[in-house]
Amino acid sequence: MATALNEKERGTLTHPDVESFGQVNRDILKILSRPGKGWWALFSVAVLGVGIFFTSWIYQIVNGIGVSGLMSPVGWGVYITTFVFWVGIAHSGTLISAILFLFRAPWRQSIYRAAEAMTVFAVMTAGLFPLIHLGRVWHGYWLIPYPNSRFLWPNFRSPLLWDVFAVTTYFTVSAVFFYLGTIPDVAAARDQAKGLRKKLYQVVALGWRGTDREWHHFGKAYVFLAAFATPLVLSVHSVVSWDFAMSIVPGWHATIFAPYFVAGAIFSGVAMVITLTVPLRKIFKLEAYLTVRHFDAMAKLILLTSIIVLYAYMTEFFMAWYSGEEVERSAFWNRLFGNYWWATWIMLVCNGIVPIMLWFKRVRHSIPALFVISLFINIGMWFERFVIIVTSLSHEYEPFAWGVYRPSMVEMGILVGSFGWFFFWFLIFTRILPPVAIAELKEVLPPPLRGARKKGEVR
Amino acid sequence: MTDGIKRRDFLKVIGAGGAGATMLGCSTERVEKLLPYVIPDEEITPGVATWYTSVCGECPSGCGVWVRTREGRVVKVEGNPDHPISGGTLCSRGYSSVQGLYNPDRLSSPMLRGADGFSPIGWEEAEELLAQRLRESGNHIFLGGRMGPSLTNLVDDFLSVVGGVRREYEGLSEAPLREATRIAFGRNRLPTFDFAQARLVFSFGADFLETWLSPVEYHRGFAQMAGVDEHGSKGRMVFLAPRLSLTGQNADEWVPLKAGSEAVVALAMAHVIVREGGDAGPYYQRLLEGYDPRSAEEASGVPAEEIEKLAMRFLEEKPSLAVGPGVAGHHRNATAANLAVHILNSVAENVGRTVRLREVDQGAPALPYGELASALSAMAGAGVVMVHGTNPAYSLPSGAGFAEAFASAGFRVSFASAMDETAELADLVLPDRHPLEAWGDSNPRPGLYALQQPAMRPVADFDSKQLGDVLISVSLRLGEELGVGTFFDHLRNRWRRIQAIAAPGQGFDEFWREALRKGVVGLPVRATEVPVPLRSPDAILNFDVPALDGDGEFALVVYPSPRFGDGKHANRPWLQELPDPVSKMAWHSWVEVHPRAADRLEVQNGDLVRVRSPHGLVEVPVWRYPGIREDTVALAMGGGHRSYGRFAQGMGVNAMDLLPAEVEQPSGALVHLATRVSLEPTGDRRRLATIEGSSDQHNRPIAPAVALSALGHGGAGHEEEGHGELKEIQGLGGFAPVPTEGRAEDFPLEGSRYGQYDPEANPRWAMVIDLDKCTGCGICVTACQSENNVPWVGEEQVTMGRDMHWIRMERYFERVDASRAGPLDVRFLPMICQHCGNAPCEPVCPVYAAYHTPEGLNAQVYNRCVGTRYCANNCPYKVRVFNWFGFSDVPQPMNWAFNPDVTVRSSGVMEKCSFCVHRIRVVQNRARVEGQRPVRDGEVVPACQQSCPAEAIVFGDIRDPHSRVAQLTQNERGYRVLDELINTQPAVTYLKKVTFHEVESGEH
Repeated sequence: MATALNEKERGTLTHPDVESFGQVNRDILKILSRPGKGWWALFSVAVLGVGIFFTSWIYQIVNGIGVSGLMSPVGWGVYITTFVFWVGIAHSGTLISAILFLFRAPWRQSIYRAAEAMTVFAVMTAGLFPLIHLGRVWHGYWLIPYPNSRFLWPNFRSPLLWDVFAVTTYFTVSAVFFYLGTIPDVAAARDQAKGLRKKLYQVVALGWRGTDREWHHFGKAYVFLAAFATPLVLSVHSVVSWDFAMSIVPGWHATIFAPYFVAGAIFSGVAMVITLTVPLRKIFKLEAYLTVRHFDAMAKLILLTSIIVLYAYMTEFFMAWYSGEEVERSAFWNRLFGNYWWATWIMLVCNGIVPIMLWFKRVRHSIPALFVISLFINIGMWFERFVIIVTSLSHEYEPFAWGVYRPSMVEMGILVGSFGWFFFWFLIFTRILPPVAIAELKEVLPPPLRGARKKGEVR
Repeated sequence: MTDGIKRRDFLKVIGAGGAGATMLGCSTERVEKLLPYVIPDEEITPGVATWYTSVCGECPSGCGVWVRTREGRVVKVEGNPDHPISGGTLCSRGYSSVQGLYNPDRLSSPMLRGADGFSPIGWEEAEELLAQRLRESGNHIFLGGRMGPSLTNLVDDFLSVVGGVRREYEGLSEAPLREATRIAFGRNRLPTFDFAQARLVFSFGADFLETWLSPVEYHRGFAQMAGVDEHGSKGRMVFLAPRLSLTGQNADEWVPLKAGSEAVVALAMAHVIVREGGDAGPYYQRLLEGYDPRSAEEASGVPAEEIEKLAMRFLEEKPSLAVGPGVAGHHRNATAANLAVHILNSVAENVGRTVRLREVDQGAPALPYGELASALSAMAGAGVVMVHGTNPAYSLPSGAGFAEAFASAGFRVSFASAMDETAELADLVLPDRHPLEAWGDSNPRPGLYALQQPAMRPVADFDSKQLGDVLISVSLRLGEELGVGTFFDHLRNRWRRIQAIAAPGQGFDEFWREALRKGVVGLPVRATEVPVPLRSPDAILNFDVPALDGDGEFALVVYPSPRFGDGKHANRPWLQELPDPVSKMAWHSWVEVHPRAADRLEVQNGDLVRVRSPHGLVEVPVWRYPGIREDTVALAMGGGHRSYGRFAQGMGVNAMDLLPAEVEQPSGALVHLATRVSLEPTGDRRRLATIEGSSDQHNRPIAPAVALSALGHGGAGHEEEGHGELKEIQGLGGFAPVPTEGRAEDFPLEGSRYGQYDPEANPRWAMVIDLDKCTGCGICVTACQSENNVPWVGEEQVTMGRDMHWIRMERYFERVDASRAGPLDVRFLPMICQHCGNAPCEPVCPVYAAYHTPEGLNAQVYNRCVGTRYCANNCPYKVRVFNWFGFSDVPQPMNWAFNPDVTVRSSGVMEKCSFCVHRIRVVQNRARVEGQRPVRDGEVVPACQQSCPAEAIVFGDIRDPHSRVAQLTQNERGYRVLDELINTQPAVTYLKKVTFHEVESGEH
């Protein structure tokens, strides 16, 4: 993964406190040793979340989708909101690892592993929601085109079907990409592990020995997959946005949706990376690897996308007014001042106003400030989808059919539980795979020159 | 054969194992036997409906019905088109009678009160007990609702044998009208009214579209009058009452007069007419001098000029008709008010034209409350008190003391088929049969007889017995003879007399069969209608605005519910769930308050208030209603049952709790407009179970109207391009049928995969709904629910916005002003699936559950639906409804009411109006069987069209240029909802409402 220029400068700039390759191995692989109380505490909360998640879902399957608060005219609510939210989260992992890789961004190495893991788990979470929201989940497989004796095919005109393909493709590719990137690190872990863990790593590492030939193939495959995943980053959220844009619901039917959603997804995804890496950095003492410089770069990306998202909001409101169409105007007026005004204002404040602080370097360099801002953005982006979905549906063409949707406890349980489910996997990940890419990190560190070696450090 | 298993053992094992597997494989539900018809019943062909004529037993109007049965069970009732009263349709209460038949709260056997409540007993025992009690004492009372003539006759025979009197009591009595008719014209009868003939109707609060006298008949007549005809002519209605009922909302003008001032206004109008040369006779001439418009203005709040103007129009736009006031307006001078309306009709020369006195009700008069009150005082000394077909413990104000009087009787018997409030107080309950499973007859007006025949064997879950048979059998136990063995014999004997007049030449059996087949027998009416002059009154009446009890801020209007009447129908979930046509609320009660008054009280929709009168207190949510005077509030009857089964009990409040038990003189009717109330906000609130989102159209072309003056010269806004559009929807007809030999590899057929349609193939079904005729009554909603197995969902679900009706009766307030007399504009729009040619729901379904049929129907394949609800989100009309739960798991035996032609939907499935596709198929199959003939225009009738008394709905093939639907689509008033906005190309064309006032530009 060598980049030709200024490796030394970059490495020293990015990770001034990392002294040697050996330290990288020790620091990162230490995380994989016996978990501490803090981890167990977090993990039990996550397991509780998983419990809530599946209890709520099973309760819903047994009793009927009516245990949600969904109604007519609001047929989609918290479930689809949360689906889009998690798909959005899933976005930045591949963005950081694939696109930034192709663009040779110098700050991706430390964070991309966590971001990729986040992607995979977020897609695993998001992918459940289209099933959760089905009235008859036991027939969910009918959306998959499979040969059957009655020649029944799914409807390829339906954006929901595109969703099925987009999400499954995205999951497959990002999972493979994620796995491929971990192989050298798993090999490193294997070399240190004992017992059962070693056996596991042996299998997962596919017999990696680190030969030149292997590195050569690895490099080719990685570039290839990065190039392959890049368009998917853009396509998956475009397709998700078409669930809305392809309909005729006022507030959904807008050409701006695909870029708007992609920007929003990067926005929320990077915010989630910050939300995840700040505690990770703290708990596992990775300050040397995840430096302020990394966070500064991510904050800038957030700032950029926040401006795009805010611009999209303004465009929507402007177009609603400029169209002169009573239905559109009414829909957006209702957004700001109707039954769900609070959701809209949460969205505008969290996504449009709060990120303004990131213009200041002091804020960008303050880890606690970034953490708090990232939480605001996560909340704001969840509400963005809620606003798009719920306010639009509640206030459509037929005034007599307008209605107000209130989420139920079951929906809240599944929403909260989905975080449990996500963190369940993420916490397991931090114990099983090196959450910071060892091999790639080493590429940006100064090479272990003979003279630089201190105190008999071994590579 | 020495080792291994033997063949015989092998078979045993396989047999047992197979049986076990079968048992395991099946569901755990009870295994039921299926037996083929060894000897087929001659009237039952599996899969084919058998229809029986009968009479609707839900109210005393006496509509003739056709009962649809499948495999020996009743699945639906429809109006009998040969019957002059029902004319082919019924009201919502009539359509719900199958839910009365299969009501799970019907008693499964006679019940006897013991020390610890009721316990079931057998019929033998019960009848023996009743006979014994009758023998022990005398002086019995039989308190009944309106019954058919033969049953009434039998009851009278029975009472004369055992010694007792019969008292008739119906919760909704028009006694003041009868009394006023007696005073004015010397005839102790209810007149009938010819709405269809009238050009101008003044309704002084008579709710003739909902509950007043004969609503189905008057509904039809009104629609004929009020709908614009092909000559561009249209009758109008003025509604003069403090509150707009559904009838009021259908008026063209509203005069919001002060509660109780109808008489003064009517007399002032008569005064003007007499001044202009009208003839009132000497007595009334003198009387009218005292009632000039100026003094009426003071009493009623209606400006004198307005009264003058209205009176002149009433005189000029002939024939005119004034009706009312109805039950909601029964105040302390109600007879005077009805008399004043008679005077108005008389001076305008309407009597004999639109007011018919000869064609009158001759049944025994429904005894007003006044006589019931005397019966109540007689109960203390009575031996056995029998109650049948009425529920005074519920429908009387508590001050009437029914419970105490009833308790003082020697022995109390109720013939209620379900435990109602009165039955709860009885010692013995002998459940009567439902009219759909029992014999009977009706005689709603002179010369009109109809037979009520059982359309099925009695529902086996309920061990019921018809009142007539009980009485006969009890009298036999008493050793008395009523002359007949069964009620059926009695009925036939009585009908021999009818046959003697109606068809003297015919054999009785032939006559009987013919009467059953046709459902109605008409006797020659003796004389033609002649004007009847006014007579000097034999009683001194007070025409003034009556005093109201208490000093509350608001006059209280208590009106009969269009859904429950006086509460008798509250145990039907279809009716509970039917949104009230005025408030659009279901299940619970509400109090109607004018928005300005509500602002003064600082209450919003759903805020709970205590409504306090000097006589009682109820706690209800507020509904802000612009169609009520600021100084008046209104409550519907029919809610707040303390018993009467799971669907009625505890739903809403009983408005009678607020009323005094007071009698109007001289008619003896219960006073309904009697008291003032105060409203105190409790600070609590609830979510209303309403289907109403916004009653404002927000300038959208949903329910536009056109002024009558603009009709005929392109003013309706139907441009030439409209015809081009029509071609376009015709073009989007159906699938191209591609010839195939059915080989697997031929599928999916070329051209059929993505819904490419062939302009040349098949009919294109379409509908036209005339909004000028539609009254927004909601009868079609109930008829559709019965036809299509549409589930009810309950109060909580309706509150959440999950009602499942396939027809949403939208109601928009365009111009409703309670502060002064003037034009009124309330728009109704039955919103159903529009079966769009370019349907937004179809492309978004990922599994093709929503698809286009070759006949242009927008079909929903229930068993393919996975429940993404994307189609509902993308439907701009919001007509798709979702099965949030397994709503079709109804309590036994209500599942018997399911129509076998229509799939019962499961949980998690989307559904919507199908244009009654099963009815289309029945007709197409019939046409095919009858020599491959084409389907005739008008042959396919969806359930909503069938049920519409206003005949506002027309259905047919739009590709046939001669069909009515194709021609009406071209009407200048025709438009399609939202089509210009989103290009959905609906198959439903609405015809704009026609108003007398100018429709403002910008106002749709």
